Amino acid sequence: MAAQTRKAAIVGGNRIPFARSNGAYARASNQDMLTATLDGLVARFGLQGEQVGEVVAGAVLKHARDFNLTREAVLGSRLSAATPAYDVQQACGTGLEAAVLVANKIALGQIESGIAGGTDTTSDAPVAVNEDLRRVLMEVNRAKTVQQRLKALAGLRPGQLAPEIPRNAEPRTGLAMGDHAAITAAEWEIGRQEQDELTVRSHQALAAAYDRGFFDDLVTPFLGLSRDANLRPDTSGEKLAKLKPVFGQGEGATMTAGNSTPLTDGASAVLLASDEWAAEHDLPVLAHLVDAQTAAVDYVHGGEGLLMAPAYAVPVLLARNGLSLQDFDFYEVHEAFASTVLATLKAWESPAFCKEKLGLDAPLGSIDRSKLNVNGSSLAAGHPFAATGGRIVATLAKLLHEAGPGKRGLISICAAGGQGVVAILES
Amino acid sequence: MARTVLDAAPALPALFARAALTARGRGGELPDTRLARTGVAVDPAALADYAQVCRFPLGDALPLTFPHVLAFPLQVALMTDRAFPLALPGLVHVRNLIEADRPIGVGEQLDLEVWAERFAPHARGATVDLCASVSAGGAEVWRSRSTYLARGASAPEGAPASDVDVEVGALDRPAAQWRVPDDAGRRYAKVSGDVNPIHLSGLTAKAFGFKRAIAHGMWVKARALAALSGRLPDAVAVDVAFRKPLFLPSTVTLSTEQAGGGWDLAVRNVKSGTEHLIGTVRPA
Repeated sequence: MAAQTRKAAIVGGNRIPFARSNGAYARASNQDMLTATLDGLVARFGLQGEQVGEVVAGAVLKHARDFNLTREAVLGSRLSAATPAYDVQQACGTGLEAAVLVANKIALGQIESGIAGGTDTTSDAPVAVNEDLRRVLMEVNRAKTVQQRLKALAGLRPGQLAPEIPRNAEPRTGLAMGDHAAITAAEWEIGRQEQDELTVRSHQALAAAYDRGFFDDLVTPFLGLSRDANLRPDTSGEKLAKLKPVFGQGEGATMTAGNSTPLTDGASAVLLASDEWAAEHDLPVLAHLVDAQTAAVDYVHGGEGLLMAPAYAVPVLLARNGLSLQDFDFYEVHEAFASTVLATLKAWESPAFCKEKLGLDAPLGSIDRSKLNVNGSSLAAGHPFAATGGRIVATLAKLLHEAGPGKRGLISICAAGGQGVVAILES
Repeated sequence: MARTVLDAAPALPALFARAALTARGRGGELPDTRLARTGVAVDPAALADYAQVCRFPLGDALPLTFPHVLAFPLQVALMTDRAFPLALPGLVHVRNLIEADRPIGVGEQLDLEVWAERFAPHARGATVDLCASVSAGGAEVWRSRSTYLARGASAPEGAPASDVDVEVGALDRPAAQWRVPDDAGRRYAKVSGDVNPIHLSGLTAKAFGFKRAIAHGMWVKARALAALSGRLPDAVAVDVAFRKPLFLPSTVTLSTEQAGGGWDLAVRNVKSGTEHLIGTVRPA
């Protein structure tokens, strides 16, 4: 093993525009989207036939047939077939976790280059047979005699034909992610108006970034889309104010289809490397991945909000790197819901939360909101679960590169299961 | 030369029915006709269906064989015209050459033109080439030549002999094994429009002298190319010879071997080794 570690460089990224569920990518599979995204990255960085150290990607909603999804995508891509690959899955943290895993192997000198990515489709989602039917079928499969087989088949009931359709709900609580977020929004008293304002800013910032060509070398058109289908450049506070709440109950419900991310299809990939590899290949270094941290909270019995884990991960990361929350030029806080971003920021400002939950003497404090999600985030772009991390890493790396050397950015991504993945990038 | 531009793709089931009814009494020379369509847009749903049946990934470039599906109805219209000297029922696809100058984008508007040429004597009858040219933005980007054998037919006197051979290496190492199901012909018929009865069922195939339904040659070619996704040059020529019919259902092997900067291919029966397709993929 290498005696010293090194920081992995982020060379660039590629993604396909994100499509709304059952829209432009209704017929594309996760493998189709990931393969197209890898091929776009290959074309952008001249990696045709190249043996990359490792490709790490994943999907949250995954068919049984996709057990080796990333390797299959590599085999169908223009990368060398001798490029190893593996799948990861950490819910909405998948894409960032994949980048961290690749960066860590580069840091240890185990690989010189790697691609981190993610893909998700809610249009081509896996549908499984009803659990009761599956048990009967397994019983039939185990049966050795005709008699046993008939006995097993006698367990069949018409109701078992109803398929199991994946739901965006937590297995242990039975609540949709939005319902969980609504509880947190109420606890932190996050108002409707501030959520809608954050949403409008996200759409406007993403549209402006497209208009100034920021995504020209980050996005490759796919199946007729050249911009994210969810993007509404002309949305406004008035328009959003008209929407009825879809999560939460009664008077206090604030979360609408506008200030929550819609179900989305898409894929993203990021190219990481050692500085030496990038130089040898005459490729730029946009930024380095400095450090990363995960955290998890007990949202089932522990009374913490489902999407609050990043609030816990960030102070650990800051302490290890000797930084304060204000030592950043850019903040990329994944907009699962506008209320999630606002609750997280509010938690860091709260002396009580920082003392009691995080064990800190003083709160982390506020951030300069003008540095938050400056090119828009998931509310505008959409959120194909595993693809969001790659979108954010590539966007932030390019932002830091544009801002010049020595700039620093913080990424914070919440994930189902009460988890969070956060990271620091530096130019 | 007469060139006719059609507004829409001709309906294939009606053409196949007409071909059966007008099979007798044909003869003479190839007509000097060209059929064309302009500004053809690819239907994304039809493309997704085609990609699924042939195992191509769904992406932003058309599968190399897809333009054939666009041009094929025009070719059938040409062949069912009274002026065409050979009867469509019984024609056997024996060779197919596709040349692409670059990948074609899903969103590109395409101009198609088809014609027939090279009416040539063959040891078992005569062959004719159905050609297709596909242009985008006024420039040709894709062309194909489908050679059909008419058993027992005779070509005009003095015509140069038919050429239906493709040379490949030994290809003795199978790369993949495919179980080709009973309904493979019906599935490809649905996405390609090629409802030739020899592909649809055992019964309809028997009516034309085949013991069982046979797979479409262009499906076998498409699936072999799909297996090489990501490993094909952008400018490419794919030349395949269809040898013995692939009876349904069957289990076959695909063998691939790097050759001439591209690939040699063979699709053979897993047990008997009967050769169904051999071909070459070369950078163009």
